[in-house]
This record gives sequence, structure tokens and C-alpha cells, in this order.
Amino acid sequence: MLHKVLLAASLALSACGQPNSASTANLDSPYPPQTGGTLVDAMSGEPSSLIPMIAGESAASAIASNIFNALLKYDKNLELEGELAKSWDISNDQKTITFHLKPNLKWADGVPLTSNDMLFTWKLVTDDNTRTPYGADYKLVVKAEAPDSQTFRVSYAQPYAPALDSWAGLQILPKHLLQGQDINTTAFARHPVGSHYYQLGEWNNGERISLVRNPNATQGQARIDRLLSRFIPDPAAQFLELMADNIDSMNLSPIQYARIFPARPDLNKKIALYKELGNAYTYLGFNLKHKPFDDRRIRQAINFAIDKQEVIDGVLLGLGEPVASPYKPGTRWSNPKLHPYPYDPKKAKQLLKEAGYADHDGDGILDRDGKPLAFEILTNQNKQREMSATLIQRRLKEIGIDVKIRVLEWASFIGRFIKTGDYDVVLLGWGLGQEPDQYNIWHSSQQAPGQFNFIGYSNPAVDRLLEQGRLELNPDKRQEIYHQFAKILLEDSPIVYLYAGYGLPAIHKRVKGIDNPAPPAGIGHNSYEWYIPEPLRRTEISAQ
Amino acid sequence: MTRYLLKRLFWMVPLLVGISLISFLIMHLAPGDITTTEAGFNPKASEESRQKLRQLYHLDEPLLVQYGLWLKRMATLDFGTSFASHQRPVFLEHKDEKGNVSKGMIQEALPITLLINVLSLALIIAVALPLGVISSLYQNKSPDRAITVFVFVGFAVPGFWLALLLMYWLGVAHDWLPISGLHSLGYEHLAWPARLWDTAKHLAIPVFISSLGGLAGISLFVRNGMLDVLHQDYITTARAKGLPENAVVYRHALRNAMLPLITILGLSIPGLIGGSVIAESLFAIPGMGKLFYDAVLMRDFPVIMGILTIGAALTLIGNLLADIAYAWADPRVRRGVTG
Repeated sequence: MLHKVLLAASLALSACGQPNSASTANLDSPYPPQTGGTLVDAMSGEPSSLIPMIAGESAASAIASNIFNALLKYDKNLELEGELAKSWDISNDQKTITFHLKPNLKWADGVPLTSNDMLFTWKLVTDDNTRTPYGADYKLVVKAEAPDSQTFRVSYAQPYAPALDSWAGLQILPKHLLQGQDINTTAFARHPVGSHYYQLGEWNNGERISLVRNPNATQGQARIDRLLSRFIPDPAAQFLELMADNIDSMNLSPIQYARIFPARPDLNKKIALYKELGNAYTYLGFNLKHKPFDDRRIRQAINFAIDKQEVIDGVLLGLGEPVASPYKPGTRWSNPKLHPYPYDPKKAKQLLKEAGYADHDGDGILDRDGKPLAFEILTNQNKQREMSATLIQRRLKEIGIDVKIRVLEWASFIGRFIKTGDYDVVLLGWGLGQEPDQYNIWHSSQQAPGQFNFIGYSNPAVDRLLEQGRLELNPDKRQEIYHQFAKILLEDSPIVYLYAGYGLPAIHKRVKGIDNPAPPAGIGHNSYEWYIPEPLRRTEISAQ
Repeated sequence: MTRYLLKRLFWMVPLLVGISLISFLIMHLAPGDITTTEAGFNPKASEESRQKLRQLYHLDEPLLVQYGLWLKRMATLDFGTSFASHQRPVFLEHKDEKGNVSKGMIQEALPITLLINVLSLALIIAVALPLGVISSLYQNKSPDRAITVFVFVGFAVPGFWLALLLMYWLGVAHDWLPISGLHSLGYEHLAWPARLWDTAKHLAIPVFISSLGGLAGISLFVRNGMLDVLHQDYITTARAKGLPENAVVYRHALRNAMLPLITILGLSIPGLIGGSVIAESLFAIPGMGKLFYDAVLMRDFPVIMGILTIGAALTLIGNLLADIAYAWADPRVRRGVTG
């Protein structure tokens, strides 16, 4: 709602005066790369700690990913490559992975970074006393060793393909600073020492955090001297700060991107807009243990009855894409042959008729055995999801399905409904993972309360593919497995894929070197190469 | 009087325990706990590790056992540490053996909220008092009507909407005031007068917005109190004695009309530590409102209980202070108390 108000406010007041624009004349001319300067951005939340394995929230990983390195990372096309590791070998039985480190790695404090640090971090994340929810992947390692300072080796009881992704997700912590400390309460959480491009400058609680360049960075030197993140929870306030040139970058909402910007040429002069595929998709999920959703025809009928493009246009103002598999379109895991169910109400009605549904009592709602086809869509407090549910409600009404919508606060939603399985239909989102393994979400063994196959999906063919996919470390062979998996999933329609929204970063034009259009990994993949030419820097900050 | 005080103070203890028990139970009525909110929906987080956390925080124990554990800690005034992954102390700072200080969450948020609320309360009184007096003196005439309309418009305007307009107008359209936050970048390098000026500029819009809604209540309160008093016999007597109108209004009427205001101020003491979630989010002010709201969403029980307990204690103390102040100001009440 704030966005609408802001829109109204900015339209009403745009006549009152021009924002305090600096000299914008030379923003568009080319500048050679240069080091220095400060980039100011806004974050809606504050990290709780900067130890990535302990702090789960996105704000923490956003900051920590500039401070710490992992063994591996994803490149701009979301393929794995070495970060601290120069290379890695997989043994013939696919059970052992050996990482060879890059030479002369150092922590920010100058102490050498060796395979002992990796071993230490692995012990930490698998330690029962470590308060981390992320230990499961690493506990599968039956043996971890550091035969010499440049080599780190892990062995699994059986081949485990998601292992490589897990080593891209585990940020390595310094043994020499953390040994003998309680990782859950250590002061290191607020005074981290890492090995990546930046190190912590200052942290003013509730206000901002600043990172400064790490002179000993393992991946070369970033161009921008200082990254400053201000904590501004409200997106409307963030937008005002962007307009007033107090921050350089923020993520826009579709309204800001598609309605406010086109109406404000003065903003377009100084701020560049980018579009990248987001990391999550929104779906409508059926409780497959409840009738009538155990019937595939009903699920398919609902899928045909929902106009996905309408939802994208209405909710995201067109700034999103339909998906047909739980993978990012454009990456190797996404099966290009799959297409979303088209909007086809006739076919939907046909399928419902086959399943025995007709309007026997003439009340406009289909029924079978005297029971009307009616259900409740549950979703959490999220404007986009609420709006999607409303559009779906209308489309389903048209084919004779009576839908009610219920919106809940997150913890109640999970605690009261998802865990107990006490729901018919949910409208939620899942991540579009870089790692194709989605065993936890779709395998029939993962249905206990608190596990993630809460819709109760159970398909032996899918189970088998998911098991195979975990054992296969060769990317090309894995790709085939997951293409097949996505195909069955789409046919079975246990969920209706609604959309994957775009991330909409807006960045001041003083920041140069940004890839446009964005590669699959998003514009941030080369942020260390971004630079701010000296004439365009903010005076009040560079003076410090 | 001392006995009365001691008695009141003594009875506050069971009252506080009762309030905390009810708060504790209500808090646990809401579904979910910290393990459902923190990484609760990340497929990489396993159910076993969440069970482990539940045990660590005794969330798997019966409710009354949990309450007992909390009460035992509270008996030594230990508010505990947050469930959030930073595990910071809830109330006061804690120093570990190496001398690293981790600041208490309430300790950091409280001064900010207190400052804003005290400033806005002062502003409310400074504006509402004269408005109320003027209203009563011109009862049902145009100044009275204009003031009533003004304070009710202030009361009715949605604060966040006006705040956004002011932020846009004063911060974006003109470079007069900062838009959000408490300090400018580089605040640390300023001399103290410049710091004061900087903070004042940051607080101007938030204080204005949070006072606007309170004007109506206090000014109408003063107005009606004044009207009551102005019709009393002793005012007629004062006028009959030939006292100048100023003396009648300010020395005789206003002082008596102020008495009920003491109660209101006493009752507003607990309100001083509560912040507005909307205003704090909008202005990016790390205050108590956001702290409490986030704690509720996270199901961060120690923080919720900490804030509720402090709020309850302040409410009781506020009531006591109001009663005492009343007794001090009004001889009739004083005689009732001591007699």
C-alpha cells in the first residue's frame, strides 16, 4: 500500500520542485576504470551476526559474502568454478573430492589461509554444539582431511552430487581466531576477519554497516574502496533516499520500476534500471493427501484454468516470467522443451467433467456426490501472493470452483497449518536453486512434520530420479536426470507454477562497469569490477 | 504515608508475577517458535537440527516449566539472551572474559525511543495546553471551532501518509531535512554542536509526526477541564472580588484544571517506552517498536518477555507516581490517603 501512496505523493508533488540533482550532465560519458570511492546501498534488514553458518537471514549472507570465501563459487552462468580452490578432482568411485587450493592465500590479518582452516570449518559446522541449521549436508562427509596445507579432501559413504554445491555454500572461517571459542557466542560474529574483497569497517547497530577493501584479498583487488549499507526497513523510504541521491542502489518494486520511473525523466537521467531473473518462484500447491487433490485431473484442470500471464501482468506489472520447472530459465538444469500449461478454461472444464464434477444443484458451483468443489487458499502476508490468490479466485470461479482466501502471519502459517498438514491449497514460493537436487522437497520420504514435502507428493518415478541425481556427479548426465524429473513433475501438476519475478535493481549512473543485460547470476556477479569515476563521487563521503 | 507506599510497593510484586504469567501464556498461544521462523523454510535446514535448537532453548519442555525457568532467571534480574543468532543480551550489556562488550538490545533501543517520546510529549503539552485554554475561553466561538478542527484533522490524518509527504517535500524536493536515519554519514567526525544540530534535523519529522496525533486528546482534555472549573463558584467569587481576568484564568482556574492532567501524564509513562512500528520503519529508527514487532514475528521469546515485563513494571510505577503526585497536589486526596 505504501507504494501506491508514494506514487500518489510523487505525482502530486512532482510539480512542486526538482530534486537536488548534482551536475548530471556528464553521467553518461565514458570513464576509464578507476579505484576508490564509496558505494552506498540500502538493506531492509540488519544482519544478526556475520558468521554465515550461524546467521541464516539474507541480510547476513549479503554482507558476509563480501567478507568470506568458499572453496567454490558460481560463475556468471551459474556454473561451478574454484574460489579458494584452484581445482578439484573427483575419485573414480565418485566418493572422494580433493580440493587443491590456490597458492599464497592469506586472511585479512596477514596469516596464511590453509587447508587446516577448511578442516576446522567443517568440524565446526558438523559439531553438535554449533547452533546451525545447515549441518546436514556436511555430516554426510565420513572423512575430511588436510594431507598438506594446500590440499583438502572429503570422502562420502556413497557418491553425493550436491556435495559440490555444499562446498560453494560453506564460507571458510579462520582457525587461528576461532579455535577454542564458543562459535555461538563469540565476539567474532561482530568483528569478523575474512579473506574476500572486503573487511568490516564499522558496524553502527540499527543504522549502517561499512566494509572497506581488504588489502590481502584472495581474489584480487576490488575497485570500489568502501561499501556502505544503510538499514532502511521501509521500501518507500528507501526510494525517497534514492531520489534524493543519498543512496546509490536499491531493489525496486514493480510499481516503482514500471510506473514511477517512466513518469520521472529526472530520475532516469541519473539512475539506471536493471532487470535480472529472481531466485525464487511462486506456486499454488495442493495438499495431495486431501480429496479431491489426489486426482491428477483436478490439479491439471486448475492449472489450465489459471492464466499465468494475467497474474504476471496484474501482480508484477509484467516484470516476471512463467516457469515450467523449478529451475532458473536459461541455466542448464531448466528443460527448454517444457512449457507452462496454457490458459484453457474449456480443457479445464472437460477434465473436471471427466473426474465426475458437474453443477447438479444449479448454484453455479460444480459438485460431485453432493459435495461442492470448494477450497481455501492459504498464503502469508505478502502483497504479491495475496493479489495472485485474488486473480486465481476469479478465474476458478469462472469454471465453477468456489475459492476462499486466507492470509496468515508467517510463523502461525508454518506452525499451525504447514506442519500439521491442515490445509487444502497453499500459495507459496520456493527457491530456484543453483543446485538441481530437490530431494528434500519432492521425495516421498520427506513428508514428516517439519520436513519440506508437506504437500505429500509421492511418485516412484520421481523418487528414483531424485535418488539417481544425488549419485551422479557428472553435470551432463545429471542434466538429463533433472530434465526428466521436471517433465514428470509438470505433467503430474502437484503444484501450479505461477511466476518467477524479476529482481529490479536501480543503481545510480555514477557506478560504472555493470553488465547489462544481466547474466543468469544477476548483475552482482562482477561487483568487484564496478567502479565510480572520481568526478562522479559524492563529495561529503570522499572527504573523510 | 510511608506505610501506604510500602504497601503499594509490596503489592506490585504479585501483580507483576501475574502479568508476566499471563503474558507468557498468551505469547505461547501463538503457533510457531524461533525454529519455524529462523531458517524454518530453507530446505537445507534439517528438522533434526531444529529439534536440537528446541532442546537448547527448553522449548520442548512443558509451558509451566519454561515459565519457571524464566522466573528463576528474572528473580536475579537476568533478562537472558535473545534467541536470534546473535544471542545478544536482552536488557543490559554483557562483558565476556576478553573484555568484548555486547550491548543489550533494549539498552540500545530504549534511549532512542525515550528521546523521541519525551520530545514529542513535551511538544504536545507545549502546544496542547495553550490550545485548550484558548478553546475554553472562546467556547463555541470561531477560535474554539478552528482549534477543534485542527486537532482532529491532526488526529485523523494517517501518520505514515503525512510522513511520506513531508519526507518527500522536505527531503527530496528541497534539501532541507534528512529523510531517514538518526545520523548523517560522517557524524562521528563532527564537533558536538554540529552533532546536536544533525540529530535535531533527523528527529524533526519523526517528533512532529508522533506529536500530531496526541494533540487532540490533551487539548480537549484541558479545554473541558477548564470549562468545568470556570463554572465553579470559587471562580465566580474570584471574579466578584475584582481579580483581573488573567489572574482568574491562570492562577485560579488553570491550576485546578491541571489536576486531572497529572493522571494522564502518569498513565503515559509506560507509553514512553513504546515506539510506533510504522514510524520507526519509515524513518529507519532502531527503536523499541520495531524491536518488539520483530521479536514477535521471530518468536524471540526472551525479548518479548523482557519488553513486556519492563512495560508492566513501568505501568505500575506510573500509576503509583500519578497517585503520589495527585496526593501532593490535592490536599483532599492527601487526607484520604494518610487518614
